Amino acid sequence: MTDTNNVIAARRRSTEFRLVLMAGIITAGAYTLASLGQNSVIPPRILPFLAALLLVLMSAQIGVRWLAHGADSTLLPVATLLNGIGYVMIARLSERLAGLQTTWTFVGVAAFIGVLFVVQRVNDLARYKWTFFFFGAGLLLLPMVPGLGFSSGGAHIWVSVGPINFQPGEFAKIALALFFAGYLADNRELIAAGTWKVGRFYLPEPRHLLPLLAAWGFSVVVMVGQKDLGSSLLFFTLFIVMVWVATEKTSFLVIGLGLFVTGATAAYFMFDHVQTRVAIWLDPWSRYQGKGYQIAQAMYALGSGGVSGTGLGLGDPTRIPEAKNDFIFAAIGEELGLFGATAILIAFLLMIGAGLRTAMRTTRPFEKLLAVGLTTILGMQAFIIIGGVIRVVPLTGITLPFVSYGGSSLVANYVLLALLIRVSDSSARRLGEIPDAATFGERFAARLAQRRMKRHPEELEAMS
Amino acid sequence: MNLRIRRFAVVLIVLYVVLFAQLNFIQVGQKATLDADARNTRQTVRDFNDPRGDIRTSDDVVIATSVRNVAGSEFDWQRTYPEGDLYSAITGYFTFGYGATQIEKVQNDVLAGRTIEQQIKGFRSLFNGQDTTGTVETTIDADIQQAAKDALGNREGSVVVIEPATGAVKAMWSWPTYDTNLVAVQDSALAGDVLNYLDDIPGKPLLANAYQERYMPGSTFKVITAAAALDDGLITKESTWADESEFLPPQTMDPIQNYGNKVCGGDLPEVFRRSCNTPFARTAIELGPEKMAAAATRFGIGETIPFDLPRATSSQFGDVEYFTQNLPLLGIGGFGQGNTQMVPLHMAMVAASIAHGGVMMKPYVIGATYDHDGGVLQRTAPTVWKTPMTPATSSLLTELMVGVVNEGTAKCCMRLANGIQAAAKTGTAQLNAAGEPERSHAWIIAFAPAEAPKYAIAVMLKGTTAEISEGTGGTLAGPVAKKVLDVALSQ
Repeated sequence: MTDTNNVIAARRRSTEFRLVLMAGIITAGAYTLASLGQNSVIPPRILPFLAALLLVLMSAQIGVRWLAHGADSTLLPVATLLNGIGYVMIARLSERLAGLQTTWTFVGVAAFIGVLFVVQRVNDLARYKWTFFFFGAGLLLLPMVPGLGFSSGGAHIWVSVGPINFQPGEFAKIALALFFAGYLADNRELIAAGTWKVGRFYLPEPRHLLPLLAAWGFSVVVMVGQKDLGSSLLFFTLFIVMVWVATEKTSFLVIGLGLFVTGATAAYFMFDHVQTRVAIWLDPWSRYQGKGYQIAQAMYALGSGGVSGTGLGLGDPTRIPEAKNDFIFAAIGEELGLFGATAILIAFLLMIGAGLRTAMRTTRPFEKLLAVGLTTILGMQAFIIIGGVIRVVPLTGITLPFVSYGGSSLVANYVLLALLIRVSDSSARRLGEIPDAATFGERFAARLAQRRMKRHPEELEAMS
Repeated sequence: MNLRIRRFAVVLIVLYVVLFAQLNFIQVGQKATLDADARNTRQTVRDFNDPRGDIRTSDDVVIATSVRNVAGSEFDWQRTYPEGDLYSAITGYFTFGYGATQIEKVQNDVLAGRTIEQQIKGFRSLFNGQDTTGTVETTIDADIQQAAKDALGNREGSVVVIEPATGAVKAMWSWPTYDTNLVAVQDSALAGDVLNYLDDIPGKPLLANAYQERYMPGSTFKVITAAAALDDGLITKESTWADESEFLPPQTMDPIQNYGNKVCGGDLPEVFRRSCNTPFARTAIELGPEKMAAAATRFGIGETIPFDLPRATSSQFGDVEYFTQNLPLLGIGGFGQGNTQMVPLHMAMVAASIAHGGVMMKPYVIGATYDHDGGVLQRTAPTVWKTPMTPATSSLLTELMVGVVNEGTAKCCMRLANGIQAAAKTGTAQLNAAGEPERSHAWIIAFAPAEAPKYAIAVMLKGTTAEISEGTGGTLAGPVAKKVLDVALSQ
C-alpha cells in the first residue's frame, strides 16, 4: 500500500520540482534581460543573485517535500514565479529596494517553512478561532497605538517597531480568515437553519449570528477608519463569500451585496477621499495635475507597452508614482506588454484554481472554508489592485500578492501559501493518497507516553 | 459546499476575463491615442535619459554634446553646446518640452543611436556595455565660422561660405542669434519663456536667417542677368551701352535710374564693374519675361533650397505672366530690385556655381554620420543641383568679377592677403521708395582664388542701421568677405 501511495507523492513533488526550476530559469533570464536592457551589461551581481534564487527555491521545495509531500504541485511554483517577476521589476526600479526585497523573500520562505513545520494538523487551528480573532483584531488596532502607528500614502495602517516598519493588516486578514473558517465550521448549520421567526422571515438565531457580525463589523469599521479602502473591500468580500459558501444560502449573498451597495454609497457621501477615487476612476485626465496623475501615467505606461512590451529594462516605469508597489502591474504591462500582463493574470488564475480545488477535495468543513477564505484573499486582492490600476474598479491601494514590494505583504502571503499547501496535503492524507503518518509532534508525544508507561506501568494498569 | 465553491470559481474567472478584456482595450485599442497624448512625455523622457552623441565641426571641434547630470537630477543627461551661440543655426536645440531643431532634429535617430544600422551593430554593445549613440560631423570649419562671427560683429546680417566644387557649407553665421544653452535647460517653463522672448525680438534670432530668410539682393543679382543674356547670345563681352543716367522702360513714365543717379555706360566689363543699372535693366527687358524667368529657374530660384537642415526657404524672382504685364519691374528685377528676393545661402551658391564652371552643387552641412565605434554610417556625396550657365559664361563672369575687385565697386576692400586674387560682385539693395530716408542692404558675393576657387562667399548686412544704409556693398560687405576669405585661405 505504502509503495503505490508514495508514488503519487513522489510524482507531485517531482512535477513541483521541475516547475519551480522553470520559474527559477524564467526569473534568472528576466533578471539578466532587465539589466541588459537598462545598462547594456550582464548584471554585475548575477552570481550572488543566482545563489540566492537557488537557495530560496530549493529550500521552499525541500520544505514542501519534507513537511507536506502530498500537497498540490502548482501552488509553490506559481507563487515563486510571481515573486521572481516582481523581484526583477523591483530590482529594475530601485537597487536599494531590491536588496530589501531579497531579505524579505528569505524571511517569507523561512515563514513558509516555519508554518508548515508548526502547523502539521491544520484542523487543530479551528480550536483557536477566538485566539485568532483577538490576534487579528489586535493587529488591526496596532497602527492606532500612539507612538507605534503612522500614516503613509494616506492610509493609517503602518506600525513602526525599532528599525522595522510593517503593515499588521496583512497578517490580520489571515488571522480573521482562520477565525471565520473556525466559527462557520462550527455554526454554519445553526446559522443556515434560520429558526428565529421575524414576521414572514426565518432568520438565524441572533446568538449564532451576532458574534460573526460583531467581528466583521468591527474589522470593516477599523479598516475604513484607517482609510484602507482596499483592505475594507477585500475583507467585505471575504466575509460574504465565506458565509455564502458555509451556509449555502443565496439570501446571504443577496443581503451581503445589498449591504455592500449601501455601505459603498454611504462611504461615497461620507468621505472625500472615496469621492476622489471614484472621480479619477471615471476620468483621470481631467485631474491630470492632481490625483489622476498616477492613473494617467499607468495608462501611458500600458499603452507604450502595447502587445509585446518595450522589453525589460527598456521602458520608463519610473514615471509611474509607486510603480514598485501598488502600480507594479502597470510597470509589468509596460515592459512585458499585453503578453506579460496576461501571464500574470493567468498565474493568479492558476493559484485560484489550485486553491479552490484544494477546498473542494477536502472533506472537513474547517479546512474547506479556510481554503476558500485564503484563496479569496489571494484572488480578490489581485483583482482589486489590478482592476484599480487598469480602471476596471476605482483604485484602492493594496499590494499585488507576491509581486509588489513590501515585507509585510510578501511574508504574509508566504504564510497564506503555507496554510493552503498544508490544507492540500491534509486532504491528500485524508483521501488516502499518501499514508497518514504521524507528525513529528505526535511521534514525540507518543514516545513520551511510551517512556512514561515503561517507567510507571502502574498507570497503565490503573487506566485499564 | 462544493457547488458554491464551483460557482465562486466561475465568478472569479469572469472577473479575470474582465481584467483581460480591459487590458486589451488599453494596450491595443487605446495605444495610439495614449501614445499621441500631448501630456505623455515618455518618448521625450526616454531621449533625455539616454546618452546622445556629439555634433562636431569638420576640424573636430565639439559643438554639441551631452554630459551626465549629477545623480538625483530629473534627467540623466544635459545637452550642452560648448561654443555658445556660434553654431546655434546649425546644431539647433534639443529641448524637453519644445522639441528639437536643425541637426538635433533631422539627425535625431543617429544621435540617439536609433537607426536600424546602429541597432544591428549595437547588438554587440549588449555585451560590452557601450552605448550605441552616433556622431554627426558637419562640414563647418571652426576657424572660418569664428571669422564670420568676428567680421560681422554686432551688425545684423548673414555670412555663408561654400566649397564650390562640393557644395559643402564651410561657415554659416547670422546675427542676431541666440545661445542654444539658454533653451536646452531642464526647466521646461524657463525654456518656454526664453523661446517666447527670443521670438519677439525683431531680428528673428530664432530663425537661421542665412537659409530661412530672403532679402532683396541688389546688384549681386546682375551676375544672373548677365549669365542669362550671355548664354542666350544676346550680349557678349564686346557689347556696349551708351552713357546714360536713366532709362525709360515700356509701360511706364517712371524712368529707371543708376545708383546715385550717375551717368554710366561702356562695354560689358565696364558696366559690370561699375555696376551700372540701366544696361542690366535694358538687357532683362530685351531678353523678355520668358527667358529671364527661365534663367531664374535654371539658378533654382523659386524652388526650396535642397539643404539638409529643416525648413529652408526659397528665393523669389517672379513668373512670366507677372513680368509680361510689368516690364519695368522685369527691368529693375534685372539688377536685383523690386520683388526679387534671394536667400543668403542661395547667393553663396550662385557665386559658387560661377566658380565651379557653371555647375551649382547641392548645399550640405552634414558631412558624415558615424556610429559609436567611429564607423561611417553615411557620408554625404556631393551632388549637382543645377547647371545654370555654360562653362564659357562662367569663365567670362569670373573675369568680370575679377574686374570688380581690381578696378570696380569692390576695389576698396577685396585685396586679399598674400596677393590672392578674388572675384566679386557687390550689391546695394535700395529698400526705400523715392523721397524716403535711405535704407539699403549691403551685399557682396565672391570667391577666391579666382583662378582655382576654393571658397565662395555671400555676405549680407541688413539695412537696419543708418551706418549700413549709407554704405554700399563694396565698402561694408567687402571688408567682411575679405576677413573671412583671408582666414579661410590662410589654412
